[in-house]
Amino acid sequence: METNTARKINAGIEEEAEVSIKISNLNVFFGVNHILKDLSLDFQKNKVNCIIGPSGSGKSTLLRSINRINDGTEKLKVTGAVHFNEKDILNGVTNLTQLRKDIGMVFQSPCVFPKSILENVIFGIQQHKKLTVSEKQDITEETLKAVSLWPEVMDRLKDSGQSLSIGQQQRLCIARTLATAPKVLLMDEPTSSLDPVTTRVIENLMERLKKRYTIVLVTHNIAQAKRISDQVFFMCNGQLIESGTNDMFFNTPKKEQTKSYLKDETCVCR
Amino acid sequence: MSRALKNNVYNTLIWTAAVLSIAILVFLIATLIWKGMGAISVGFLTSASENFGSEGGILYQIIGSLALTLCAAVCSFPIALGVAIYKSEYVKSKVFQNITDTIIYSLNGIPSIIFGIFGLIFFVNILQTGVSWFVGGIILAMMILPTIILASHQAIRSIPNSYRENAQALGLTQWQVIRAVIFPRGINGAFTGLLLGLARAIGETAPIMFIATAFSGVTVPRTFLEPVSSLPTHILALAQQATNPQALQNAWGSSLVLVSLVFIFSISALVRRIQYSKINY
Ligand SMILES: Nc1ncnc2c1ncn2[C@@H]1O[C@H](COP(=O)(O)OP(=O)(O)OP(=O)(O)O)[C@@H](O)[C@H]1O
Ligand SMILES: [Mg+2]
Repeated sequence: METNTARKINAGIEEEAEVSIKISNLNVFFGVNHILKDLSLDFQKNKVNCIIGPSGSGKSTLLRSINRINDGTEKLKVTGAVHFNEKDILNGVTNLTQLRKDIGMVFQSPCVFPKSILENVIFGIQQHKKLTVSEKQDITEETLKAVSLWPEVMDRLKDSGQSLSIGQQQRLCIARTLATAPKVLLMDEPTSSLDPVTTRVIENLMERLKKRYTIVLVTHNIAQAKRISDQVFFMCNGQLIESGTNDMFFNTPKKEQTKSYLKDETCVCR
Repeated sequence: MSRALKNNVYNTLIWTAAVLSIAILVFLIATLIWKGMGAISVGFLTSASENFGSEGGILYQIIGSLALTLCAAVCSFPIALGVAIYKSEYVKSKVFQNITDTIIYSLNGIPSIIFGIFGLIFFVNILQTGVSWFVGGIILAMMILPTIILASHQAIRSIPNSYRENAQALGLTQWQVIRAVIFPRGINGAFTGLLLGLARAIGETAPIMFIATAFSGVTVPRTFLEPVSSLPTHILALAQQATNPQALQNAWGSSLVLVSLVFIFSISALVRRIQYSKINY
C-alpha cells in the first residue's frame, strides 16, 4: 500500500519533470562570431521555461535555433543537438514545416497580416490542410477563446486584424500560432511592446496555456520571470550561467553573476 | 546674400518653373482639344479610314493600338512579376543583384528606335514572321518590362521582413510564403507599373513602324502574323500630307484620341498609387 503510493508519487514527479526539448552542446556562429557557447539544457513539458539575461546574450538566437528560423541567415553555423520528439531536429532531414507546426513562435511585436481577423487566425493552418467554412469558424472560435480574445471580437471577425489594439493583436498572433496545433510555444519577449495591464493579460494567458503546451519564454523583465516562470535559465554572453526552479533561482542563487544580475541587472561575464 | 533674400530667390525660381511647366502642359492640351474636337464625332471613332486617312475615321487604328498594348501587357506582366519576385526572394548575392539592376536600368535607357530595329532584324528578317501586330506587342513588352519590374520590386521590397518571418514560423514553405505574402503585394506594384508602361507604349511610333503596322488597307487582324494600323503611325502618315487640311484635321483628332488613351492609363496608375499608399500593408 505504502510502496504503491510512493511509486505513484514518484511517477507523478517523473511525469512533472518530463523533458520536452533537450539541448546538448549547442554552438551557434555567425561568421567568426561565436554567439552560443556549448549550451546544454532541458525545457520541461507543461512548464513556463523562462530565459533571462542581458541584451545580446543570445536569448533570441537560442530560441530561433529551436524552430530553425535562422536557417536562411548567411554564414550561420550550428553544431550540437536539439532533441524534440526523440529526434535531433538540427539534422538535414528534418521537415521544417512539421517542426514549425509542432513548435510555434510568437514574436516581440505582433505582426498581423492585412487580412480579416478570421483569415489571420487560419493563415498558417490553411496552408497545411484544406478547411471547410465551418472548420475555419470552429478553429477561429476555439483558438480565440484560448487566448481570451473571443468575447471582444466575436461579432467582428470580418474586420481587419490590423484594426485591433496592440495587445489584442498580440493575442491574435498567439491564436494564429495555436491554430496550427503546436506542442511547444516559443515566445520572444511577447509583452515588451505592451502596457502593464495588457502584459498581465498575456501572463495570465501563459499560466493557462502551459497546461496544454510547453512554453519557452524569453524576457528582459526579471519581475515577470519571477511571476510566471517554473524554470529559469540565466544566460550571459552566449553561456548558460545558472538554471533552476523559480524558487531556487530567485531565493537561493548560487553564482555571483546571477546574484549581481538579480540585484541590478548587471552582468560581468564578458 | 541674406538668408531671407536667398529664400525668396529660390521660391521665385521654383514657382516660375512650376508655373511654366504647367502652362506648357495646359497650352498643349488646350491646342489639342481646340484643333482636335472639330474632327471627332461618333462616325470618326467608328468608321474605317479612307484615302490614306484624309477621309473616314480611325476605328481600326484604335483597335490596332489597343491590340498592340494588350499584347504587350499580356507578354510583359507575368515575366516582370516573376523577375521581381525572383530578384527579391531568391537572389542573395549582392554582386548578382547589382548586375541585374544594371541590366534592367540599361534596358530602360535604350532608345525606342533600337527596339524597332531589333524587332526588324530578329523577328521579321531572321525568324521570317513578316510584319505582325504580335511581334510589335512583344517588342513593346520588352520596352516596358523594366518599368513593371522596378515598380513590382519596389512594392515587394517594402514588405516588412517580419511578414516573411511570421509566415515561416507558422510552417509555410518558401513557395507558400511567396504565394500568400509576396505575391499579392508584388502583383499590386506590377499593375501600377504596367499602367505607366502602357501609357508610354501606346504612344510609341518607332518600335512598331517597321514591324507591326501598315498604313492602309488594314482591318481587324485574324491571325497573329498580320499587320495592324495604329494611332501614332497613323498620325505620322497624316502629318506627312500636311498640305491637305482634311488630313491635318484628322491628325489632330487622332492625336486627341491618343492623348486621351495615354491619360486614362496614367491617371489610373496615379489613382492606384494614391489608394495603395493609404493601405497599411
Ligand atoms: N542574423 C545575425 N547575424 C549576425 N549576428 C547576429 C544575428 N542575429 C544575432 N546576432 C548577434 O548575436 C548576438 C546575440 O543576439 P540575440 O538577438 O540572440 O541577443 P538577445 O539576448 O536576444 O538580445 P536582446 O535581449 O537585445 O533581444 C548579438 O551580438 C547579435 O549581434
Ligand atoms: Mg532578443
